[in-house]
Amino acid sequence: MNVNLENQVDTKIIDEIITKHKGKPGELLTVMEEVQEANDYKYLDEASMGYISSKSKVPLSQIYSVATFYSFFNLKPQGKHTIIVCRGTACHTKGSKILLDDLTTLPGCKDAFDAGETSFTTDDKLITIKTVACFGQCALAPVVAVDGVIYSNVTSEQIKKLLENLQEENKDENIRLS
Amino acid sequence: MEKKKINIIVDGKEYQVTEGKSILESCREIGIKIPTLCYLKDISQNASCGICVVEVKGARTLVRSCISKATEGINITTHSAAINIARKTNLELLLANHPKDCLICERNGNCELQDLSALLGIKETPFERTKPVPKIDNSSLSLIRNPDKCILCGRCIAVCADVQTVYAIDFAGRGLKSKVSTYLDQGLGNVACTNCGQCALVCPTAAIIERDESKEIMADIYDDNKIVIVQTAPAIRVGIGEAMGMGEGELVTGKMVAALRKLGFSKVFDTDFAADLTIMEEGFELISRIKNKGTLPMITSCSPGWIKFIEHFFPKSLSHLSTCKSPQQMFGAVAKTYYAEKLNVDPRKIVVVSIMPCTAKKFECKRPEMKSAFHYWKEKLNLPEKDSFFDVDYVLTTRELARMFKVTGVDFSNLPEEDFDHPLGISTGAGVIFGATGGVMEAAVRTAYEVITGKPLEKIELNVLRGFEGIKEAELDLNGTKLKVAVAHTLKNARVLLEQIEEGTSPYAFIEVMTCPGGCLGGGGQPIPTTWAIRQKRSDSLYKEDRLKPIRKSHENPAIKAIYDDFLKEPLGHVSHELLHTDYIERGIY
Repeated sequence: MNVNLENQVDTKIIDEIITKHKGKPGELLTVMEEVQEANDYKYLDEASMGYISSKSKVPLSQIYSVATFYSFFNLKPQGKHTIIVCRGTACHTKGSKILLDDLTTLPGCKDAFDAGETSFTTDDKLITIKTVACFGQCALAPVVAVDGVIYSNVTSEQIKKLLENLQEENKDENIRLS
Repeated sequence: MEKKKINIIVDGKEYQVTEGKSILESCREIGIKIPTLCYLKDISQNASCGICVVEVKGARTLVRSCISKATEGINITTHSAAINIARKTNLELLLANHPKDCLICERNGNCELQDLSALLGIKETPFERTKPVPKIDNSSLSLIRNPDKCILCGRCIAVCADVQTVYAIDFAGRGLKSKVSTYLDQGLGNVACTNCGQCALVCPTAAIIERDESKEIMADIYDDNKIVIVQTAPAIRVGIGEAMGMGEGELVTGKMVAALRKLGFSKVFDTDFAADLTIMEEGFELISRIKNKGTLPMITSCSPGWIKFIEHFFPKSLSHLSTCKSPQQMFGAVAKTYYAEKLNVDPRKIVVVSIMPCTAKKFECKRPEMKSAFHYWKEKLNLPEKDSFFDVDYVLTTRELARMFKVTGVDFSNLPEEDFDHPLGISTGAGVIFGATGGVMEAAVRTAYEVITGKPLEKIELNVLRGFEGIKEAELDLNGTKLKVAVAHTLKNARVLLEQIEEGTSPYAFIEVMTCPGGCLGGGGQPIPTTWAIRQKRSDSLYKEDRLKPIRKSHENPAIKAIYDDFLKEPLGHVSHELLHTDYIERGIY
């Protein structure tokens, strides 16, 4: 898969997003969120952040500060599918570490997490593995989000199967538990 | 008007204090000391360290005295078993991730964290390190950041944003990964940083320091094949004494000269000479711009942090900058041409060292265009491009110079006073006051008035241009020609004047801008701490030296007359154009 890492969001789209939210509270967060969403690889590329800064007059260092504070923002291109494993206390006690270990079998993934990264994307830009501190769904632990859909009481077998399906571009919609 | 007083109780005693202050400042007002770490008056109250906690009757928890207001009737306890444990624990937690290399640290003996550890009687560091060792940011020619020594107090961020409006750094990450960072971690040398060094001046530890070049200089001093000459900026004579254990702002010109000679410099010269030269060139440039309807207002160009600021943030306004190089760079260009000719030596043998109150000067001297002397000699001596040299080889801050004096055993306060060498050490009072905000303007007026009107200026002390007000303005009457001028210090104030220019509403003909609060005397390379009270003392000393000088107008400096007669011929002439003037580049924000 040929990935253009210089991928950036059309400045016209950014202009529209900025105009739409002008003057509203939390303007910057919303703009950054929508610009990330507008990027094909769901991340805040350098050119777009520069453009947001010049248009909104928010200094680059502050944009970077916001982008690195919230784990929602990505500074690297994301895979086609994203699996987010909750590493909060409740999920941890219910075995979310095992789920993460199942996922970090992807080549290079374990090294990245061991080095302190909280996000890993496969070279072919197909799958991104991330962790979060808590989804707030502790009663359903362990919790995993796949492409924005939250799955609860996930088992090791299910996650392995899911990974397989995603890799074969054959996403199993039925891993949701009963 | 007398400010309203309120009644407060501190440690069981009743006091009256000024209304509207924090608990911390109220206690300071009545002489009760509360230990602090991240707090820095007028700059930062980030409330991140938890050292200044006190008990307030009725409050559920300990409160941070730096951000909590003292109110009528408040009952404060500044020390108790609970407070002491909290302060100690908070400090121990900070120390867990701070390297324990005080013995070999640049700030050894001048570190707020070290002082506080002693103050709170820290004997062990019970908590284990939780953070990996981060990379040192070596990308800037002026400043080095060692995030490992950072305690996340936020002072540098506050000074960069609120005083300078540069926003080169901010917090990045969250929790354990929190750090002070530039955009995309690119490093200070690769973002829109002006190198002003105010961050280094307010840093409580050695997390941001100047790039130290003293080793290279000592090697050159000990090399018999080199002629190492030194120039000292006006603000050094009111700062170095302080750094050598003398009084704040003490005027120590003679001792400084003696100490530099002891260090081994072959000639000790004065940047004030070059400041006088700057006044000649800049004064005539202003007159020429007014006569020929050139771009006005013209803005001074002595302060390299300011130059980089306008190049980054207001590149459209670059034509307003005087084309004059800063005094430091004029000195270098003159030293390696005019003075080299006088000595009849190969200019490549001359090493020019500047002692500056400034970290941005380190960047300035390495700007690729600052090789005027090389271009002057290139054809005459048939020099190959690979032999090219900078006009100024090294810049040392006041702090680095103090370290060199200490290492070489200079007994500074007991040295007899000595005079600068000739001819590049001859200067006037006008050159001296360059070190204070408003000084360049005052010096320029002293000369421009007499050149334009042909009459002597009766009152040469222009009090309206003195003092620490952010933006000062004045209207000058030059033989019927009214000239509005303004003086700004800090880049925040400079920004105000630039925005006026870009909106087309600037009423001024001439503007002086200094990057640092108070002018060079409050520069990023000056001794730590630098407070407003200390700045005032340094300023008083500079104006005192001006009063003591027999000659107080740049155009009356005999050495300046001589350099024009023998070498430059006339202000704005061909040689001046080649050696003393420069141009600027559009950088933009990145």
